[in-house]
Amino acid sequence: MFLTRSEYDRGVNTFSPEGRLFQVEYAMEAIKLGSTTVGITTPEGVILAVEKRVQSPLIESSSIEKIMEVDSHIGTAMSGLTADARTMVEHARVTSQMHNFTYDEKIGVESCTQAVCDLALRFGESVEDDDALMSRPFGVALLIAGIDEKGPQLYHTDPSGTFVRYDAKAIGSGSDAAQQSLQDAFHKQMTLVEAHSLALKVLKEVMEEKLDENNVQLAQVTPAKGFEILGETELKAVIETLAA
Amino acid sequence: MVAAKSVEAPNIGFDFSNYARNQFFGERLQGIPKATSTGTTIVGVIFGGGDSGEEYGVCLGADTRATGGPIVADKNCEKIHYLTPQIRCCGAGTAADTEFVTNLISSNLELHALSQGRPARVVTAMTMLKQYLFRYQGQVGAHLVLGGVDVTGPQLFTVHAHGSTDKLPYVTMGSGSLAAMAVFESSFRENMKREEAIALVARAIRSGIFNDLGSGSNVDVAVITKNGTENMRNYEMPNERGIKSRNYKFRRGTTAWTKEAVRSLIVSEEIKSTTGAGKDQGGVEVVPVPTGAGAGGEEGMEIDT
Amino acid sequence: MALYSQPPMSYTQEPTTAPVEHRFNPYSDNGGSILAIAGKDFSVIAGDTRQSEGYSIQTRYARKVWQLNDKAVLATNGFAADGTNFVKRVKQRLEWYEHAHHKPMGLKSIARMIQTMLYGKRFFPYYVYNILGGIEEDGTGAVYSFDPVGSYEREACRGAGAAQSLIQPFLDNQIYFKNQQPEAGSEKFVPGNLPLSTVLSLVVDSFTSATERHIEVGDGLEIYVVMQKGRSADDLLDEKKLAPGLKVEELGALGEGEGERTFLVRQSLKRD
Repeated sequence: MFLTRSEYDRGVNTFSPEGRLFQVEYAMEAIKLGSTTVGITTPEGVILAVEKRVQSPLIESSSIEKIMEVDSHIGTAMSGLTADARTMVEHARVTSQMHNFTYDEKIGVESCTQAVCDLALRFGESVEDDDALMSRPFGVALLIAGIDEKGPQLYHTDPSGTFVRYDAKAIGSGSDAAQQSLQDAFHKQMTLVEAHSLALKVLKEVMEEKLDENNVQLAQVTPAKGFEILGETELKAVIETLAA
Repeated sequence: MVAAKSVEAPNIGFDFSNYARNQFFGERLQGIPKATSTGTTIVGVIFGGGDSGEEYGVCLGADTRATGGPIVADKNCEKIHYLTPQIRCCGAGTAADTEFVTNLISSNLELHALSQGRPARVVTAMTMLKQYLFRYQGQVGAHLVLGGVDVTGPQLFTVHAHGSTDKLPYVTMGSGSLAAMAVFESSFRENMKREEAIALVARAIRSGIFNDLGSGSNVDVAVITKNGTENMRNYEMPNERGIKSRNYKFRRGTTAWTKEAVRSLIVSEEIKSTTGAGKDQGGVEVVPVPTGAGAGGEEGMEIDT
Repeated sequence: MALYSQPPMSYTQEPTTAPVEHRFNPYSDNGGSILAIAGKDFSVIAGDTRQSEGYSIQTRYARKVWQLNDKAVLATNGFAADGTNFVKRVKQRLEWYEHAHHKPMGLKSIARMIQTMLYGKRFFPYYVYNILGGIEEDGTGAVYSFDPVGSYEREACRGAGAAQSLIQPFLDNQIYFKNQQPEAGSEKFVPGNLPLSTVLSLVVDSFTSATERHIEVGDGLEIYVVMQKGRSADDLLDEKKLAPGLKVEELGALGEGEGERTFLVRQSLKRD
């Protein structure tokens, strides 16, 4: 890829003669630098797990927020430039609220994902008064988990604005190895508890540090309780099952 | 300098002294009362004579709907009013005004006939109506079709609420006047036969009934010739109500009640017999009247449904 | 020398020509009436077909009741131009929704959307009273009624339009059993359980009676019946059970059907 590098990677909206948008591809590279994030769908619900890179013992680990609530039935986990994700999550939240306000029903998970992706390509040189335009693509990928009338769903979005639905998906620095592990271990009738263990097991494999309740975060979306980030005690319990 | 003398305004012409007061009431109270105009179709034609080989006559027609705003107040009212045996007057506008003015003029025409010793003419009725209506400056909301046969022959007029009149061979009035006039303008002929005239009048009224929301229900017709007046009340009934699909009779005891009290309407009274005016009435015989059980006494008030 | 020291009467001091403001009035009232009644597993939405202005009939057949999709029917009343335009916009939004969310909009969502659409024109309202009827996601019959700026409510029945004051008290008595005591010892009346045949009769009688006493109601009656999926339509389609003068046709599914069925029942009304 870098062999064809030329002036075509300057303008964010300029295609290369081979038909590529380099800035978007570079943005995808940014995600590979991010922390590993995993999502798994089960018939009982969807789970999200992230690695929190606590680079210094002086960091208050609880301040690292990589899983966020979008609506009571939708949550998202991120990898890459997490600051960019705030814009996207904010948009997803507003869209969900607007939908609820206008239609007296919860937004569909796919519709919410689509709304987020609609933002992704609004970058480039600003045209006249269009100051809402962003200067560069988002440098972040999201795993959007949620439950609607179609059941538990997991979507992956990337900086190109493409979204794909997955049974299980890993993104971030350890995604290649993690995705392989998920593929080997995943099955359709997995329970929520099994998914918790699998997610942490996969993270554990790709993490440099020793996995503990301070450097991972686990969340789930279930039909009964909707989106929730697991508390420290629940997280510890899952980690204990790993050791056993 | 001579002080200017205050002089009262001369008391001539119209008096508008209540204008400011009424305006004030209009703003502060429920607004200036508005006379309700009852939508109506009324018509009249002259027929007979010429090639028809029939007597001259006048045929009048009216619908039978009375309205209060958009609500039908009466589905079968009478709008052809009697003035004299050979003069009739159809009324449109404010129902009370048409009834009252028509009654009043009818009385006066009777007195007129009595004092003159001959039947009143239609022009006389017309003149009395217009003079009365003009006096009230349109405030008496009577819009009339006046027709009859007198010594001068068949006569047909319209009288407007402000007092203006027209004399024409075919006329229409009321909110359905345009619908009815459309029929007359397309189909009226001079010297129609009596039956043709009745059919045309009925058609004109039907046009009002079906095309004007202010008019409805049935067709009333009156035919006046020198031989007398034939009143054809409900000549056509093209709008009879269909049967209701459900029966809305309520079971006895449907209406809730809080208490029951039965009271006898026969009260006890005392009758004192007196022997004459101015006499001492003390110590006279008292005849008590027994109190009856009263209607529906112990069995309770029963109403047959 | 002046004859008068002051003008003689106070009225002469008033300006004889007060300034009069002439303004275009964008609204008119086109009369007619609508009504809807919800059943256990069906919903009935009806309206007459007369459209008038003042004392004139503009047309004896103007639609006031509209099929939106398989489970929703909307009746509009008031200013006819706003009504047809509003329905057009609602239908457009329903299509957009299907494209965006890959499913037909549910009844309660349509109701909420109508509220937002009406309130969106809070200061230049659609001069329309809306009644939405249809089948809810749980299969029950439903009726939602709206005011012109979007206040709405789910009800068992509602009448609106020119003859609302004639129809609603009748419905209150016959549907909500207002001012009716049940027989001693028998069960309490519960609204919303009447059979379809009874509801149809009540609708027909509401309109024939309103036609009798309201000048703006008449000409024709259109009754839409929406049925829960799987419900038998024998009580409607059996001609022997249907009152004479009523004609029934089944309307095809609009868009992707989900099993609910819509029927249109017509009857003529008096034309005077």
